[in-house]
Amino acid sequence: MTPEVPAVLAELAAVVARNAAPGVPEPERASELGLTAMLLGLAAEVWDGAAARLVEENRALRALLSDTGADEDLRLSKLKAGNDRLRGKLIEAQIAAEQAGDQARQEAIWAELRASTERRKISVSLV
Amino acid sequence: MTDHPLAPRVAAYLATKIPGASDLTVEAMERISGGASRETYRFRARWREAGESRERRMILRRDPPASLIETERRVEFAAYRAFHGSAVPVPEMLWLEEDPAHLDHPFFIAEELAGLQASPQMLLAGGYDAALPKVAERKWTILGEIAKADPKALGLTEVIPAPPLDGCWRRELDYWEAVFDRDQAEPLPIARAAIRWLRAHPPPPAQKLSVVHGDYRTGNFLYDEAGEIHGVLDWEMAHLGDPLEDLAWGFNPIWEFGRGLAGGLLPRERAIAIWEQASGLKADPQALHWWILFNCVKGQAIWVGSAGAFIKGGNKAPIMIYPAWWLLNAQDRAILKVMGKL
Repeated sequence: MTPEVPAVLAELAAVVARNAAPGVPEPERASELGLTAMLLGLAAEVWDGAAARLVEENRALRALLSDTGADEDLRLSKLKAGNDRLRGKLIEAQIAAEQAGDQARQEAIWAELRASTERRKISVSLV
Repeated sequence: MTDHPLAPRVAAYLATKIPGASDLTVEAMERISGGASRETYRFRARWREAGESRERRMILRRDPPASLIETERRVEFAAYRAFHGSAVPVPEMLWLEEDPAHLDHPFFIAEELAGLQASPQMLLAGGYDAALPKVAERKWTILGEIAKADPKALGLTEVIPAPPLDGCWRRELDYWEAVFDRDQAEPLPIARAAIRWLRAHPPPPAQKLSVVHGDYRTGNFLYDEAGEIHGVLDWEMAHLGDPLEDLAWGFNPIWEFGRGLAGGLLPRERAIAIWEQASGLKADPQALHWWILFNCVKGQAIWVGSAGAFIKGGNKAPIMIYPAWWLLNAQDRAILKVMGKL
């Protein structure tokens, strides 16, 4: 998820600490903590599967793009950096397929993009 | 309740704006949740004037350090003022203040329309089911009135740039694509593909130049238990352009709230019929499709901008994170759906 979960958790820690202090107007405290609770729930939901999702997607993208390499460093930040690089290449590949009128290639890319949204789907998704 | 730290500063400002007022106090000030593009507070002002006690409930809308939507508050203020007292219900705007000396950031103050609800979750949770047909009828009738209005007669062409009829789509698409270029933190292949499609298949010229609210959806109007709409809110993205843009924003699948109905309220065809009746305009299906896909892209640009404001440190409030986490992937799925890919 973007922004990245660790950066968000650090900020939410500050939000909770600020609201634990006296003097915060009650409606603002309720609003900030309610929103914080929802964000923590989403972080909890995606955390366990985050690395697996990125590894799965990076493999699919490498296969589609004939990109050599592998995810050797399994830290989420490294997996995400690799994912960004591959999705950048996917945009270039899609433009090339559109310009060439290569329908089969375009359909393969759309299939991967569909799959990417299934991997990222959260329980409270509106679509 | 703890007095809000802004209250004495707001009181000091109001004392300069209400002639003859004395003993002016600001009470019961509280921030209204949400408001990622402006900080919104409600409060009650009390004062003495001509020997009598006066009281008025008001709303303060203040610019945050960095916003989900970067907009011109002068335009927002002018749009509210233009429709006040018309068939488009809006709260009365009282004062616009662009000097940050008073409350650190520019702001405006409006009357509060009290005792009403705006929450789409509350509206769609079951308790208002009997009122939903009325809400829907009023929602798209009012949008038709906005579309029908003459921006020049409203005085808005003096404050808001008027694009040519055949340039409305390009101006909007250019603007929101630039938001991606500026704020995206990661590659966005689905949104970029949609933008390429939109450029390759432009819509026909607008049938007229209209005021475009820019965020007209369930959640941005005040309703009562009988289903009447008393105030259209959140005009911060108001501009002049193609009236189909406004109709299509509400058909972004995100705003179905998972119910498979336009705005969570009724079938799309019925909404279009109400709008056409009220506006006297036609919703050409192909043009409307273009604008729906455009609005999916615009929505994604807003959620990307929200994430960008957090990442760049301009605004670290939780309200900036939630739209990005909740909606970025859902908006991608909405784009796929509108493009017939899902």
